[in-house]
Amino acid sequence: MGNLKTGHIVEAAIWLSLTVFLYVYSFEFDKEIEIYKYGASSWPRAILLLIAIAAIGQLAFHWKSGDGAGTSMIGQATADSAEDAAHESHHDSARWYAWTFFLLAIPFVYLNLPEWIAAAMSLEKPGLHTVKLISAAILVVIYLIAIRGNHVGGILALPILFGAFLQDFGFYAMAPVFILGVMYLFGERRYKHMVVVMAGLFALLLMFFVSLLYVGLPTGNISPFYEFGTGLVNILQ
Amino acid sequence: METFNNFLGGTVALFSDPFGILIFFGGVIGGMLFGAIPGVSMLTLAAILLPFTAHLSPEHGIMLFSVIYCTGVYGGAITAILFNIPGAPENAPTAFDGYAMTKNGQAGKAVGAAVMCSALGGTVSAVIMMIATAPIANWAISAFGPPEIFALVFFGLAVASSVGAKTFWKGWLSILAGLLIAIVGLDPVGGIERWDFNMPYLLAGIHFIPTILGFFAVTEIFVQAEKKARGAYQAPKLSVDFPSLAELIAHKVAVIRSIVIGFFCGILPGIGATLAAFMGYNEAVRWSKDRSEFGKGKLEGVISSETANNAATGAAMIPLLALGLPGGALTAMMVGVFQMHDMEPGPLVFINSADLVWVVFAAMFFANLSILFVGYLETKTIINLLRIPFQFLAPMILCLATVGAYAVRGLTIDVIVMFVAGAIGFFLRRSGYSVAGIVLGLILGRIGEQTFAQAMQMLHFEWSGFIGRPIALGLIIAGFLTLGGSIYGAFFKKS
Repeated sequence: MGNLKTGHIVEAAIWLSLTVFLYVYSFEFDKEIEIYKYGASSWPRAILLLIAIAAIGQLAFHWKSGDGAGTSMIGQATADSAEDAAHESHHDSARWYAWTFFLLAIPFVYLNLPEWIAAAMSLEKPGLHTVKLISAAILVVIYLIAIRGNHVGGILALPILFGAFLQDFGFYAMAPVFILGVMYLFGERRYKHMVVVMAGLFALLLMFFVSLLYVGLPTGNISPFYEFGTGLVNILQ
Repeated sequence: METFNNFLGGTVALFSDPFGILIFFGGVIGGMLFGAIPGVSMLTLAAILLPFTAHLSPEHGIMLFSVIYCTGVYGGAITAILFNIPGAPENAPTAFDGYAMTKNGQAGKAVGAAVMCSALGGTVSAVIMMIATAPIANWAISAFGPPEIFALVFFGLAVASSVGAKTFWKGWLSILAGLLIAIVGLDPVGGIERWDFNMPYLLAGIHFIPTILGFFAVTEIFVQAEKKARGAYQAPKLSVDFPSLAELIAHKVAVIRSIVIGFFCGILPGIGATLAAFMGYNEAVRWSKDRSEFGKGKLEGVISSETANNAATGAAMIPLLALGLPGGALTAMMVGVFQMHDMEPGPLVFINSADLVWVVFAAMFFANLSILFVGYLETKTIINLLRIPFQFLAPMILCLATVGAYAVRGLTIDVIVMFVAGAIGFFLRRSGYSVAGIVLGLILGRIGEQTFAQAMQMLHFEWSGFIGRPIALGLIIAGFLTLGGSIYGAFFKKS
């Protein structure tokens, strides 16, 4: 095994699995192009081959040198500090990864589950909106329970959850909650400060982007969030 | 003499028009501000302003974008230095030493060097642009076909593979990951869908602005969050001790070398300031007697990168105006401004709209010069952003990034892509991969594939055709030598 660790093998396995997965999918577009004899799939497959070679090269490097940094590499300081931070904070255990990936999956559950339920129950638009509201509430509760003891995983998942909610609930309703959530996860507990900063930041964003530059931010499409968003836009513009 | 007269004519036209002056200073301050606010960039501002340029004259529209380009490239250095968030990919190498200097309590010195070198590189580049546009454009047209551009992309990626990652292999895996992302969408030759997984969004490819925002701005927030969680976050130390003239004169060789590199890279279509900055930085390391100091807060790293990327701004206008080929994201938006006014950039612009060309040239010259004065004043204000506790700064950056990602196309999925890219960037960075490498691969990937396809068609699919093209052959050999050196270093040198 040389200097290999389990993490090195997992890393190489992820790259190689990705390569195999995408190679299999490349047959979907393995079509000839009349004016170009290499077709649409040669370039992607060449890149995949190089990834496989680099992943094996990386594995060989770890086998020989362990976790050592390469010579002649420029600007590694940032990467190293991020890696050290992970080790020192014990955020590199299998349990932590599993927990974090569970949190990261929550937004994607929201993006798909209500549609599946609505399709299975043949629901119309109002029914779909109700399902989305209930799903969002349940998933937020699951998220709040799951972030206990894993604030880093919580911070990774919160913006994606915010992004997933934007289409349905709008920026205007979600941004204040999101701002408060980020501050809380970053360790702020002075609630007065949090509310003041949230109100100030939200007002600045609205004045600059909505009132001044007329940027159309998502208003949402579920009642009453939609009415709240459009009402605010009408006042600001 | 004719050039000087044209320049004077452009200057008079620029400063005798009150609305033109307003747009000029709006562009100068807007470019710097958006470049300097963490989470947004000059591209965000340009994307927001693009629809409004339809109400401006072509001169004002193009001038506004060219001014934003010059000052935005500089502005991006401020966030790279203060927060390790490059405003644009061309500021990524600035962060390597600039952020390290901030952590060492030398933020002011790093920003000061960026101000002076950006102004110097950009102004010299603007002067050369005015003098040499015609002859250089003619040379580039005849000497640089698709094989040469592909070879240059290959060489650039080979150089970039040694930047930012923990090992040579991780450097390459980072770049290849970027190339992989660039493949998603329609293939550049036959328009065949690739890896779209039947999702309409993926048909148009993964947009680079949300991806860049995610990999840089959002990833940095996540990394800081982890530090905060273990109580290791330290607010950067403040200082406003700008570098002395003597310190800058001591780096005169690096400045001149970076101007030459920056201008050369900038003139080539599709390459632009990003490769200029990486090559400027890389050459500084290559020629240095003490390479180990780079990445730990060496002033020369900031000087080389910032001189090179601003030196590319003037040069990038040459292929745009002379050939109609954009050199990067912002020059591509300028093509949009031209098209909104029923114009096409290209050789005819010099004949039909000579006034426009010289107003733009004059504006770029003065915009670069203004970095020196406005930059000093603005920097002293912006550096105070560091006083804001990170728990308040983080939601601000994330909200601005959200608006920036959404404003590009009005799609909430771009916001999700940005945050997912941020999470991926977080995991890759903690494993020693280079997010700058991924972004470079993403940007150059499409150009690389397109020029490769064109080159192979041009050479009748004979690989030996490269031998008959000395510039392409030289660049490919240089790329392989760089690769060989890195592989040798990876396996046979002690860590």
